[in-house]
Amino acid sequence: MKKVLAMTMAAALFLLAGCGDSERVIDGNVVNVTTGSQAEETTGEQESVQPSRQQEQTAATRGYVFMTGGVTVEMDGDMAPVLGALGEPVSYFEAASCAFDGLDKIYTYNGFEIDTYPAGDTDLVSAVILKDDSAATVEGICIGDSLDKVLEVYGEGKQENGMLTYEKDGMKLCFILQDDSVISIEYRSTAL
Amino acid sequence: MKKVWKWTGTVFIVLASLYLLQRLLAPKYAADVVEGALIAEYYSEEKDHDVVFIGDCEVYENFSPAVLWRDYGINSYIRGSAQQLIWQSYYLLEDTLRYEKPDTVIFNVLSMQYNEPQREAYNRMTLEGMRWSSSKAASILASMTEEEHFLDYVFPLLRYHSRWSELGAEDVKYMFHTPRISHNGYYMRVDVKPAENVPEGRILADYRFGDNAWEYLDRMTALCRENDIRLILVKAPSLYPYWYDQWEEQIEDYAAANDLLYINFLELTEETGLDFSTDTYDGGLHLNLSGAEKITEYLGGVLRREAGLADRRDEEGLAGVWEEKLAAYEQEKERQYAELQK
Repeated sequence: MKKVLAMTMAAALFLLAGCGDSERVIDGNVVNVTTGSQAEETTGEQESVQPSRQQEQTAATRGYVFMTGGVTVEMDGDMAPVLGALGEPVSYFEAASCAFDGLDKIYTYNGFEIDTYPAGDTDLVSAVILKDDSAATVEGICIGDSLDKVLEVYGEGKQENGMLTYEKDGMKLCFILQDDSVISIEYRSTAL
Repeated sequence: MKKVWKWTGTVFIVLASLYLLQRLLAPKYAADVVEGALIAEYYSEEKDHDVVFIGDCEVYENFSPAVLWRDYGINSYIRGSAQQLIWQSYYLLEDTLRYEKPDTVIFNVLSMQYNEPQREAYNRMTLEGMRWSSSKAASILASMTEEEHFLDYVFPLLRYHSRWSELGAEDVKYMFHTPRISHNGYYMRVDVKPAENVPEGRILADYRFGDNAWEYLDRMTALCRENDIRLILVKAPSLYPYWYDQWEEQIEDYAAANDLLYINFLELTEETGLDFSTDTYDGGLHLNLSGAEKITEYLGGVLRREAGLADRRDEEGLAGVWEEKLAAYEQEKERQYAELQK
């Protein structure tokens, strides 16, 4: 009897112990958010990034980043310094998630949009969407460019259902194509 | 004999301890994330509904069964939950049919956009509240993300054991009983936040709904047909997430091909009288009480005309039940308005 009780206690302790950093379902944080600088190494797809623009990226960033007016926007990076540098957006929208605390936010600037998701007290970048040809990727691709040009700059990517995707360091750079022409460019976090 | 009693007692103590531990550690969905309590509330209801709604937050925040009863004598219930995926809606319908056979089922089509499992937290809010049945098991299997395990749903203690360090007074208070948070599945909010700067939808690579989503819509249609239930498809008037014209076209085609009534409330703002400067509490994602009452009023008229649902307000037993429900509804309304004025 004592042995069984002891085993039960041990099992209970085993169940309760050592799990302080696991995901918290009740708060909705079921995804262990990985920031760009902590993300795993590149998956090894071909790249041919233009050297001069690549040097402009800060050494700490990983994955493809978006740059505008000297400001670097990195997936899963903190939005606060970006917002501070870019200033007031042309338009701002916030969306509460169903049930959970925190707001998904959309900042629209001329030519691009930045989306964020809440992580504790901070807002992290979940996506950057280029809206027209006034904004371009660091590597020089903008809306209206040809599929051939994208392939020339970025190499072979994953092509599926009209979208060409390059995955790197826990983020995705997606080109939506129509008639072999780029109609939308999205930087996406894969943390969500 | 003494040994047998000893062993029986031991097994009982072990099982009781594990049960209590599970009750303590599982989320209560009472003080926060209350939407997680919605699915379970259905089981304590009388089961004689004319209409059952199924779907995501666009049903449980946008339609008010109290209005359907008060103004039309239609007895309805919303089996909605946050980000309820279409296969979850299908299995909830199966589950509902174990208890009752409504005349009409109303399904909100926004979840057609999802073809694959999404997030565990939302899965849990829908699945944990279901009573065990083959439908629940099938729903779990259809919903699990790669990181999830079926056994964690069978024994939630396995999933929630890490909550021991987050336990609060509410976990003890609501260990065995949680307060009812909905009004026949409707989650009431009276506050106002006007819809402003609602973004257009981003360009998609492919606007076609996925095969899996279509399969479950087909199954839902077939299940309703087999049970002689009228299925009505709706798109609630939520402005965000964006509802694409290409999506609308696919649903319209499906409804026409299957002889289903489809109501897109986004196209009926004039008829319903919806005003997004006053009728939403979160900038256009969900309606507040005044918005929900407006579109439900319109829906009641459609149900009366199209589905021929009778006015049951003269049924003594049901009228008695609803008298209490409406009193609770009004009380909650007053409480929330008073809270707003503080």
